[in-house]
Amino acid sequence: MSNKNKLGIFGRLQRTRKEKWKKEEFSEIEYEPKPVKDILTEMKDISELIIDLAYSAVLFNNEEIAEEVKYLDVQMDKLNYDIRIMAMMAARTKEDAEQLAGILQVAEAAESIANAARDIVNLLSNDEKTGPILPKILKQADEQLFRVKVSNKSKACNKKIGDLKIETESGMRIIAIRRGECWIYNPQSDASIQGDDWLIVRGTFEGHKELNKFLQGEMEVLE
Amino acid sequence: MTAKSVEEIVLEIKDKSELMIDLAYSSILYDNKTIAKEVYDLEDLIDKLYKDLQRQTLENVKKSKLSVNDALSVLRLAEATEQIADAAQDIVDVELRDVELHPILKISIRESDVVFTRVKVEPNSVLCGKKLGEIKLGSEIGMYVRAIRHGDFWHYGPDKNTIINAEDILYARGPEDGEKHLIDIASGKTDKI
Repeated sequence: MSNKNKLGIFGRLQRTRKEKWKKEEFSEIEYEPKPVKDILTEMKDISELIIDLAYSAVLFNNEEIAEEVKYLDVQMDKLNYDIRIMAMMAARTKEDAEQLAGILQVAEAAESIANAARDIVNLLSNDEKTGPILPKILKQADEQLFRVKVSNKSKACNKKIGDLKIETESGMRIIAIRRGECWIYNPQSDASIQGDDWLIVRGTFEGHKELNKFLQGEMEVLE
Repeated sequence: MTAKSVEEIVLEIKDKSELMIDLAYSSILYDNKTIAKEVYDLEDLIDKLYKDLQRQTLENVKKSKLSVNDALSVLRLAEATEQIADAAQDIVDVELRDVELHPILKISIRESDVVFTRVKVEPNSVLCGKKLGEIKLGSEIGMYVRAIRHGDFWHYGPDKNTIINAEDILYARGPEDGEKHLIDIASGKTDKI
């Protein structure tokens, strides 16, 4: 979760507007040169996050997370378009083209993962009438998704994720933070945790138990 | 052998598809064709599981154990998960093709939020002879072991009963800080987990 030079889709506090993805989808794509490496890193990050978000949306029956999945899927389409253009411009020889074709194939795969995630959240839409069976099944996985609330008493309040070392100390990866009406998806190490935040985390049951104690203020430090 | 329940099959497809993604990105990162081929084998397994699931689900509906809506939800979830597995296979195709990987591929995977790492377990490491469930690398340092290589023998998707031996090579997924810690533990530099 270090702060590398990212394209900046993640880590910002934002309000999930209804149908945010639709607005994005029909907006014009402006050409802007970006390094292929940055685009591909972003695509890989999204491909991993979006699966967790999609399962979380189903598990917690949460429309806002579903909305973010749709939005990220649209972003992914755009990134895939950008990377194609950048790759074509970079090819000078047959050898270049062969190697770049590999990059495009990985990008394409990342995009189809995003599409699959979108199919998963589409199960939440009204006309499908998904019963409680999916949450019931997802609760039994080894590495699970959990929701935890941060108590005002917890030592985690007003501290940065990177300083708390939550992931290395508890093995729980923070997928998203919900603060009032706003969300931070894929928070980076400089994002801080505040009292009354809800965290969506991924990890084992034991890690969750420990993190929960810490965030409830029942434990002073994570170790 | 008793047939697996619908729930068990869905979970297995989900777990395996996530393992495949991790392995696929690792195969590119380490330019490793053995891992890439394993992704192919897992894809065959998922295809089989998916077919079993379709049959089981329909049988359950027939026996009125499952409602039509629930059955549809399960099958649609599994379909999406199967697509994820297909995507993993597309990624390893790049590794298996006879074209040298573009250096950007490795760098991009290396620079992402979740890193993959490969460490060798030295004979003086505290990990030797321990079960994965005992040392809890996941909840203690955030590193999840996704594959273990012992000589020519590979163990993919190890569980809590898998024992780590000296000279094993661990392939793990986790945050950057966890990676350093895992390297120190595996090399015997520190005993503290």
